[in-house]
This record gives sequence, structure tokens and C-alpha cells, in this order.
Amino acid sequence: MRLPKFAYFAPRTVEEALNLLADHGEGARVMAGGTDVMVKMIHGLLKPTAIISLLEIEELRGIHFDAKDGLTIGATAPLADTASHPDIVKYYPALVHAIRSMANVEVRNMGTVAGNICNAAPSADTAPPLMVMNGEVNLASLKGQRRLSLNEFFRGPGVTNMIHGEILTSIHVPPPLPKSGVSYQRISARCGVDIAAVGVGVGIVLAGEACKDAKIVLGAVAPVPMRALETEELVQGRERAQELLGQAGDRAAQEARPISDMRASASWRRKMTAVLTRRALDEAFERASRR
Amino acid sequence: MKRFSIIGKDVPRTDAATKARGSAIYTDDMKLPGMLHGRLLRSPFAHALIKHIDTSKAASLPGVKCVITAEDTPKIKYGNWRLFPETQDEYALAVEKVRFIGDEVAAVCAIDKDTAEEALDLIEVEYEDLPAVFDVASSMQPGAPVIHDYCPTNISVNRKIKYGDVEKGFADSDYVREDVFTVHGVSHAYLEPCSALAQVDLDGRITLWTSTQVPYIVQCLLASTLGMRENDIRVIKPYVGGGFGGKMELRAWEFCAALMAKMTGRPVKFTLSREEEFLAGRRRHPMTIHSKVGFRKDGTLTAKDLKIRLDGGAYNAMGPTATFLCGNFGAMLYRYPNYRFHGEHVYTNKPPASAMRGFGAPQSLYATEIQMNIAAEALGIDPVDLRIKNAQVSGDEIPDVAVISSCGFVESIKAVAEMSEWKEKRKNLKPGHGIGIGCYSFISGGVFNWFNTQYPFSAAEVRVFSDGTAHLLSMASDIGQGSDTVLKQILAEELGLRMEDIRITVADTSMTPQADLGAWGSRVTLMAGNAVIDAARKIKEQIFGSVSARFNLNVIHELECKDGRVQSKVKSDYGLSFGEAVAMAQKANRGEPIVARGSYTPRDKGLVTPAFGFGAQVAEVEVDRETGLVEVKHMWTAHDCGTVINPRSVEGQLAGSIQMGLGYALSEQFVMDGGKTLNTNFADYKMPMATDMPPSDVVHIDTYEPEGPMGAKEAGEGLASPTAPAISDAVYHAVGYRCMDLPITPEKILEDLEKMSETGDKQA
Repeated sequence: MRLPKFAYFAPRTVEEALNLLADHGEGARVMAGGTDVMVKMIHGLLKPTAIISLLEIEELRGIHFDAKDGLTIGATAPLADTASHPDIVKYYPALVHAIRSMANVEVRNMGTVAGNICNAAPSADTAPPLMVMNGEVNLASLKGQRRLSLNEFFRGPGVTNMIHGEILTSIHVPPPLPKSGVSYQRISARCGVDIAAVGVGVGIVLAGEACKDAKIVLGAVAPVPMRALETEELVQGRERAQELLGQAGDRAAQEARPISDMRASASWRRKMTAVLTRRALDEAFERASRR
Repeated sequence: MKRFSIIGKDVPRTDAATKARGSAIYTDDMKLPGMLHGRLLRSPFAHALIKHIDTSKAASLPGVKCVITAEDTPKIKYGNWRLFPETQDEYALAVEKVRFIGDEVAAVCAIDKDTAEEALDLIEVEYEDLPAVFDVASSMQPGAPVIHDYCPTNISVNRKIKYGDVEKGFADSDYVREDVFTVHGVSHAYLEPCSALAQVDLDGRITLWTSTQVPYIVQCLLASTLGMRENDIRVIKPYVGGGFGGKMELRAWEFCAALMAKMTGRPVKFTLSREEEFLAGRRRHPMTIHSKVGFRKDGTLTAKDLKIRLDGGAYNAMGPTATFLCGNFGAMLYRYPNYRFHGEHVYTNKPPASAMRGFGAPQSLYATEIQMNIAAEALGIDPVDLRIKNAQVSGDEIPDVAVISSCGFVESIKAVAEMSEWKEKRKNLKPGHGIGIGCYSFISGGVFNWFNTQYPFSAAEVRVFSDGTAHLLSMASDIGQGSDTVLKQILAEELGLRMEDIRITVADTSMTPQADLGAWGSRVTLMAGNAVIDAARKIKEQIFGSVSARFNLNVIHELECKDGRVQSKVKSDYGLSFGEAVAMAQKANRGEPIVARGSYTPRDKGLVTPAFGFGAQVAEVEVDRETGLVEVKHMWTAHDCGTVINPRSVEGQLAGSIQMGLGYALSEQFVMDGGKTLNTNFADYKMPMATDMPPSDVVHIDTYEPEGPMGAKEAGEGLASPTAPAISDAVYHAVGYRCMDLPITPEKILEDLEKMSETGDKQA
């Protein structure tokens, strides 16, 4: 297939990148690992006039964790590095699981968490765990910086609340609270390497045995990774019990708004929303009780 | 058992190093000076009349060198069944009408791929949409749209087999089981998309490099469609990245490359995209299988009545052969005293189905094997015991079909049951776990000559030299299955040489001996192997005389080629090195080179094949009752491929078969919207990957096939059949879901489990 003609830039600083983005207008596109952008271009779905690669910008590469400020994942940190980072392995196991279950080795070596978020697929695996952990994105533009909760980031398939001229520089996740637990469960028809047909993220914080705060995000069952607010409410104040898991699963399935496509039917997606919500909630309880 | 020195050894594949290094040259890797790049314009309609085509805008795009439609071609139909010209239903470029989405309408060649691609958009085609049919039942309705004028019923092939008295057999039965199975289409998904490169000499002769399983067939059909003489066309098969039955016909891009090279005087190359392969490529036949079998109380089979309708898509392709074969496979494995088959090949407005690994067997045997399991349960007999009771054995005759020479089927069933701990696991598995069995038989090449060749089915030429080397020439096609290695092993064994002593030249229709019908139907090892042995023995005849004279041997002494020497069998010091023997024989004959031709054509071998392979496979699965996902935990295989020429190669074939079988059973399918294929990439066409492969154990059953080279027969293609029924039976054993319509999907399992829990059915 024909690759469109485009200009390519690899600036060294964020400021340079922002200037390029402003100079080249609507046709300019920011790229990190390129595992989504290039594929779309090859298939004629994206025809940028300029590609601005972030890979040469040193400051965007890092992954930082500290117990007070939490986790910052730079825009160009590869998925593979993120999933093998010792602090992330220790404090954010659900994110590690999400990354390890997505794509394949080659794509994880090139692709980035930031790219997975900016691509804004309803099935993006990193979105549910990041959202239930109160993840935020740091956006830079020539006008300055802003921070946006991931809850407010997605608008539709492939569409986000970033405005042209902005670059996502990093993703921030607060440090895990005591007695908190997070789980991500996903399913696809092909067991090994496949796009998620449904993904569910659950994050809870316990007070004693009871859940004092719950966040539940459903992936691939709505135009955006969606909060299951009613299910969260249902879980609030409750203790871990089979009955609760069942109720939560059923409620999440009701909340989901899946469609039928070639990967799965709406009815199977709904059923899987229930199953995965049960499983994720159970694991989140388990993890929270151990912390 | 005969003792061999190279046969049966894990000889490294001759193509392994170059492929591992990435230096193997495939067709698309080739670049010739001045080469043009071709692209095909495909029909967006499933069924439509072509009212008008305007190519002028495309032709005037800078960089475009040639644009053709059917009007620029001789409009000669082709198809592999030359013996029955009415079955030849395809034009390289559509004439007057398109019959499926993806049908080739026009071709462009330009200085680069992008320009050719851009030119496609500039070709204006006016279509008149016609009503279309997308399934066999609609296509067979009276008044259904007629897809080919010559065939008003849309049923292009009718095939019947009958022996014994089926009605009487059923009347004498204690248990009769009747089921309808549907099986779906899947893609060959070979890793190398089709590619062809044509060059024309100054004298007008054409050389075509192409990714094909059948260089000889391409040569002949290209000649007839271009109105040229066969030997003015040279077809060369470079390295090929898989075929599985999808590259065994002349195809539009081969024709267009050749014709456009003639028209432009420049080399022209076409390489298909993966999207084109999925959108319009050949596929395995979807079938509706109506099967009725009868048993006595003790499990003895009494009769089988099999009706199969093949969804052929828009053209016959290899459908006629598949129709014929699925009827024959229906009569295999077990002793059916009475048998009746009616197969119908039906046109629909979908991409043509064709040969695919197993060639009708995976579909036909799915029904056979599932019904055996259903019957076993109903009769209260273990599925393994029921199979052993009815299994075919050496010497069995299938009327009108064949006599089974070697047969290790019973041994295979017993071995696989033992290695999988069948009896124990059938009773004592954890909830959600299940174990199931599937079996197969397959041909070692066909005896039929529907292509109507005037040449031997396979041929070989062997040249030997005084430096102790040999040169093997054969038109046999290694498409990744490893035949180059196997043929070298056979020659090395026969001449007592080492692998490194042998040079091989293959699959070049001008340089290698006429002819070879190609790599399909598991014919190469047996047929080309026999041709190599024939040639090698003629070489030995030419050199043994001189050696015998040199050592003044008694006329009753036999000579042999062994360990690089030609020597007396009884006194090995009466002998000399192979090279010295060749030199001596050459001197005795005024320097004439020592060359021999060998060939193989099956004669008096019934109607199907000279030899059958057999085997049995057991799968253990775990089914998640909440999600419906099936995980295959382990596969066990015992099979009879006669002498195992290269164990590692056979194990590679087995791994590939399991991978394809997993996909066929569980995850692969074309998602269609009417005639349009929606999943045209590997993200959405769900082929199992390395991470999905279960651990696997294999036992080769020791048999010797008298008709095979050094006792060998079919290996690897038959194995495409047992995996789906074995997994399917294991899923039933695990959760009680019996799959009558492949593939087995999580949704179907869950729906069935829900139904069972509503009706209170208890699962097995």
C-alpha cells in the first residue's frame, strides 16, 4: 500500500517539538514508537503531512517512581521497559499484567504506554488499569502545561480531549494507597496474541474488610474505556463475598454498551464483562487484603 | 526391517541455513533491470455484468506502461481438469461478468508499485449489479441466479460412489445415527503471498518465476491461455514460503505478468498483498455433510450413506478433485460393508474454494470421527475400542477405490491410547478437563490424470561424476515441506553417497526432466522418490558392469553402493570409490557421461492412490465454563507414514498440522458480509500463534509400504484431519458441548451450556 508523502522531524527538546507541531498545522502528527501510527499510514487510514518523532527527546524517555509522588512514565518509555521496571512490578502489578497481555514482543519493544493511551482504542489494554489507579496525563503546549485525569481524556474511538498543538509528555499515577488492590482481566478469542475483546480494570481500597473506595473501568464494551459507576457504587462499603462478586458482575454487564463486530458479538462481550468483573474484583480484594 | 544409512536420520534440511540467514531468494526478492510492477483491479461486486471499462486515464498516468483488460487477452479459459474441458471455467481477467468480490477485472503495470496502485483508481468500470448467492442452499434453489451460463443448476460437479446395499445394511442395524454437520472455510495463510515475475527473451520466449506448487501445470496452462507452445514457456519455482494447496493452479497474476512482459518487452512482477490474499485468495471448502451410519449392537459397522455439498465459490478451481476425494475419504478408516456417497460441487458468489491441506479429508473425516464418538456413547463402547473393532487393516479392499497395502491404523490407535493414558483419563479428569480422539487416513498422491499429462507423473535425472559427486534434477517442487532434502536423502541412500556429495536442481520446466504434477496430495515423496530410485538404479547398472569386470567377480556376486564405495556385497575389499567406479565406467564407454532418467507413474493402483497413510490423535483440553474458552493442554499422535525418511521433518509437519488443526477447530474463520470478506489481516483472521501451541508427543508406527520409496508414504497432510475432531470430542468430554458446526467458539459453548442448565441436562 502507498505511504503518503510526509516530512519527518526528530526534535531534541519538547519545545522544539511543540514549535514544529504549531508550524505544520493540522496535518502534523506526533509519533512515539510508531506501532499504531505507521500501521494506520500503511493502510491509508492516516495521511499526515508531517511526522514529529519524540524518540530523540531525552527527558521523555524516563520512568520514575518515588513513594511520595508516585509513578511517572515518560511519553517514549517502551511498553517492555515499563512492564519490567522493578518499582512498577512491585507496586503496579495490574499494569504489568495489562502490558504483558497486549501485542507481541516486537510491538512491546517499540510501542509505548503513552501511545496506547493516545491511540484511544476502546480496547486499549493500559487504559483500564491506569484509570482505576487515578492515572493522569501531563500535556504540554506552547501555552503551558496542563494535567488531565484519564477519566476525562477519552472522547470516542481514536478521539481524545487533547487539542492540536498539545503533546502528551508523560503519564502520572499516584502512589498506591495502603490496603489498596488493583486487577486487570482481559479476554480474546485467540489465547496468545490478540486484541482484547473485553478488558476490565478494578481498583479498590479497603477499610477493615469493607471496600471504602472502588473504581471499575470496562474496556472494549463502549466507544471509550468506560467507568462502571453503578457497579462501583454497588461495591462501595461491601466485603468480599461470592454474592457481591456475582452482583457486581451482573451490574457491570448491564452497564456495558458493547457492539457486535468481527472480534466478538455484543452478547458474548456482555457475558464476559460479568465474568471478568467478578474475577478482577476478586483479585483486587485479594491484593488489597495483602497490603 | 531394512537397515539404512541416511534414510531415517535427522539430516538437516538443505534449505535451513539459507532460510535462517534470510538469504533465500523468493520471487518477490527478485529484481530485473527495467522491471515493472503490476497490480490487479478487483471487482467490488459479488455478481455483476461489466458494461464498459475505460482505461484511458490510467494509461495516461505518468509511469504507467501498460493497462490490460480481458479485451487485450486471447480469452481462453483454463482449469486443472484438462481432461474435462467443460470444467475449465476461469479467465485470467473477467470476460463480461464478475462472479465474486475480488474477481480480477484489469491489470496495470508501472515503473513502481505506488504508481501502479494509483493507476488502479483511474480505471473506470461500469457494472450492472446482478442478484448474488452466498450459500449452497440458496444457490441450488430453482430460479437462483445462474453464475455460469454453461451450468444452469449451479451444481458443477456430481460425484457418486456406491458399493454393497446401503438400505439392507441399515435394515440390519441395531443403531442408526443420522447427522448434519457444517464445516467452514479457512485460509491457507501461507507466509509468502503469491508472486510472479515474467521476462521475455528477444525471440519471444517467456521465463516466469513464480511462487507455485505446480510449475509444470502453470507452464501448460499459461501456454494454452496465451496461445503459445508449452516449451516456449519456462517456469521456474524459486524458494516458496508455503502453499498448502493454495498455489496449485494457473492464476491471474501469472498470466498478466507474462502477457504484459510480452506487450512491454520489460520484466513484470506482481506480488499480492496480504489483504488481497485474504479477500480473494483460495480457501478450504465449506461443506454441508449429511451422514447416516449404521451399527450392530456389538459395534460392527453395517452401512454409511454420505451426502456432501461443497460451497465451491465462484469457480471450480480444485473443487472437482475435492468433491471426488471427500467421497473417497468418507469410505476410509473403517470397514463399511455398504457405502453410498453423493457429492455436489455448488457455485456461489464467493471467493473460490480449492485444495487445502487434506483436500476434502478434514471435512469428511470430521463427520466420520464425531459420529464414531456419538455412536460409541450410544452403544456404550469406548471410542477407542469401537475404532479398533472397525479399523481397516492391510489387505483390505475398498471396492472401486483401492487395496490398502500397508496399514498401521490399529497400531496407531493402540499406541495413542497408551501414550495419552486414555482409559484412565476418560474416567478421572478434573472438572472442565476433557480428552478426545480423532483419526485419519490420507493418500500418497493421486493416481488420477485429470490434468491429462502425456508425461510420467514424476521424473528424475541423475548425473554422476568421477569426483564422487552426483547431480539430481527433478521437477518436483519443494514449497517448504522439505522434498529437496528427502529426494537427496533417497538418492544418497541408493548410491551410498553423503548429502554433501549431491547437487540438486529442481522445479525448472526447461532444465529438469518432464514432468511432475507438482507438490500436492502428498505425492512428492512417493512419486518423485520412486523416480529418483529408478534413475539411481539405472546409474548403478551402468557402473556395476565395469566394477565387476575389474575384480573379475563371479556372475552371482551382487554389488552395492555403500559408504562412498562401489563394492561386492560379500567381499567389500573387492571394490573402489564411487568416483573411481564412475571414471572406469565412463572410460569403458568412450567418455560418455553417466546419466540416467527415472520416472514413476502409478498403474493398476485402483482409482485413488498407490498408498494410504494412517494415524490417530488424542487431545486433552480445559474448557473455562464461564468464558467458553478452550485451552488445548496436550496432543498425542501416533501415525503410520511407512518408513520415516527424515524424522525431524516429519515432526515439523506434525507441528504445522496441529497449528492448522487448532485454527480450524477453534479460532480461524472468514467473517463474511454477504460476499465480502471482512477480516483481511492477521489481526482479525485468528490464526493460532506459537504461544497457543500445546505440548505434543508423537510415535511413528513402524510399517513398510511396498509401493513407496524405501517403504515411505504420505506424512503430514493427513495429519490436518484428526486435530479438529480430537479437540471437538475432548470439549464434549469436558463440558458436554458437541460441535456439529465448526468452528468451536466460546459463544457456541456458552450458549449450549446455558441451554443444558435450563433443561437440566447433565453434562458428561
